[in-house]
Amino acid sequence: MGKYADSPEWADVVPISQQEHMPAPLAQIAYTDEYAEAMSYLRATMASNELSERVLALTEDIIRLNPSHYTVWLYRFRTLSALPTASLTTELTTFLNPLSLRHLKNYQIWHHRQLLVSAIGSYEGEAEFLVDMFAKDAKNYHVWSYRQWLVRHFKLFHSASELAFTEQLIGEDVRNNSAWNHRWHVNFADGDGLSDSGLVAKELEYAMGKIELAAQNESAWNYLRGLLAKGAGVEESKVVQFAVKYAGLDGGEVKSTHALDLLASIYGKDPAKKESAVQALELLADKYDPIRAPYWRYRLAMVNSGVAAS
Amino acid sequence: MSLASGPGLGGSSPDMLWADKHVEYIVSLDKRDDEYEYWLTEHLRLNGVFWGLHALHILGHPTALPRDDLIRFTMSCWDASSGGFGAAPDHDPHMLYTCSAVQILVMVDGVSVLDEPAEPGSSETKRMRVAHFISSLQDRETGTFHGDKYGEPDTRFLYNALNSLSLLGKLNLVDVPLAVKYIDSCSNADGGYGTVPGAESHSGQIFVCLAALSIAGVLDQRLKDDSKWADRLGGWLSERQISTGKGYGGLNGRPEKEEDVCYAWWVGTSLVMLQRSHWIDRPALRKFILSCQDGEHGGISDRPGHAVDVFHTHFGIVGLSLLEWSENKDGEASEPLGLEEVDPVYCMPRSITKALSRTG
Repeated sequence: MGKYADSPEWADVVPISQQEHMPAPLAQIAYTDEYAEAMSYLRATMASNELSERVLALTEDIIRLNPSHYTVWLYRFRTLSALPTASLTTELTTFLNPLSLRHLKNYQIWHHRQLLVSAIGSYEGEAEFLVDMFAKDAKNYHVWSYRQWLVRHFKLFHSASELAFTEQLIGEDVRNNSAWNHRWHVNFADGDGLSDSGLVAKELEYAMGKIELAAQNESAWNYLRGLLAKGAGVEESKVVQFAVKYAGLDGGEVKSTHALDLLASIYGKDPAKKESAVQALELLADKYDPIRAPYWRYRLAMVNSGVAAS
Repeated sequence: MSLASGPGLGGSSPDMLWADKHVEYIVSLDKRDDEYEYWLTEHLRLNGVFWGLHALHILGHPTALPRDDLIRFTMSCWDASSGGFGAAPDHDPHMLYTCSAVQILVMVDGVSVLDEPAEPGSSETKRMRVAHFISSLQDRETGTFHGDKYGEPDTRFLYNALNSLSLLGKLNLVDVPLAVKYIDSCSNADGGYGTVPGAESHSGQIFVCLAALSIAGVLDQRLKDDSKWADRLGGWLSERQISTGKGYGGLNGRPEKEEDVCYAWWVGTSLVMLQRSHWIDRPALRKFILSCQDGEHGGISDRPGHAVDVFHTHFGIVGLSLLEWSENKDGEASEPLGLEEVDPVYCMPRSITKALSRTG
């Protein structure tokens, strides 16, 4: 007896229980009765490849009981695609959105969303929904990957609203590496951005402004280093001038190991500045970052042997 | 194999390894099938068996789970029509579980079950059908792999494919140079790799990309030709070690995130593959992992004070093996924990992958 066994709508289906289907001595799967019954009807409809309204209801039931069951998601999308009456937008807003907000680590949800939005052909409403998702976890890898997919799929490179969004999240947490990565993606992943010296200069200013808020923030320094390494027209002297404010050599104040690291890289390329590079790396190894001392000593050896470290 | 967490909490003294307790803990997971969480984690079942079995191998108890049951359960997850394995019987076949299944069969020296006909009377073997399932998931335009025929691409699946196909001796079925090209397209300005081009660098993805480059046979040459690349990536990975506060010695997976035992593997093995594992403070990392043990009931948690589970138990144990063996190789003395050596590329016992490379 159960929800499905008692329902006249399902009277024509012979459920397939797990026991009959496959013995599994190690890792036998124990279900609650409710879930076991729904699964036995799922096996039956999948076996006959039924794509119907009642299958939508059944898959919804199972997803609510266990949203990580990837098989059922794929079956649900197939069913949605086959039913002329099914509304993909309704699926998105009334079913998927609330579910996503409850199950933050689930990635089936995001793939399902990608299939739906792809089929709908519009990203209307997506930015608004993602604000709610990021409010729950601003570094969620699935959600960021999905947002990058949106940028690629709908060609949103250099979009003012995408940039404003990264600015908002970086404003809320300047150490949000995911937001920094997205900013890089929007600005530079289409391939043209890095050769635009105006854009590179603007982003350099942006990164410097954020470093001023938190000198030891690895994300902002990595962004700056990426621009220095790959961007067109960056004046190295300007970067040095900025970095020395956070890493005084000759007994000055050191506020950031990342600044010392960057100075060591730049100085290390110039034989005339070798002594300064050595000093920066020794400060890292001995005083400011001894947990990685062997790494800094390796860099030191490279500088001393005349091979420029990058 | 139950993936439910607990019952214990990690938080043991950081000076010793409770090896016997961990063996008892893992073996007991097989009997915990009456709990609510057990079926909620059904989608990970075959992975769970892999984590438990591999940890037992590294702990020196490779036969603690019954071999026949392992083979029977693994084959009960096989879908003959597609050739792939699902997470559990009746689940759709997927790359993740297909890779775990092949690794399990190799570990119990049972991969010969795949040399039977795919169906009675068929001239095709199960091995060929599994290999074709994996190779069918390569995107022949970009070189990457999908997890299943509907799903998204991920460098994780690319690694799974190269790992399991090479174990099956069928790497020739896929376009390896194109896969390498795809990995290169996922490289970021910070030296790391993500799931797809442009995705944030993540140490789990760095592990799969480096290991795939190694199986593709190009990693060694790159380390020789491009030491600047290896230095930059090694530097980024070294930055993952937490240098202040209560997570001291632990590793995180991305900048400005919290430490977690599982990164001892993802970051640690990437540094080993880059031949730069001495760049971090290995004794401090060992202490961090040991402090996440439940010394009473066994098991390891993500960080001290949290519930233990089989995922973190596995990655804690293999992380400790990695530390011990890499220190030995570098001639740095450490207190021996007596763990078997783990293969940094395959995430399998070294003794087994060594024997394979001799016969293969």
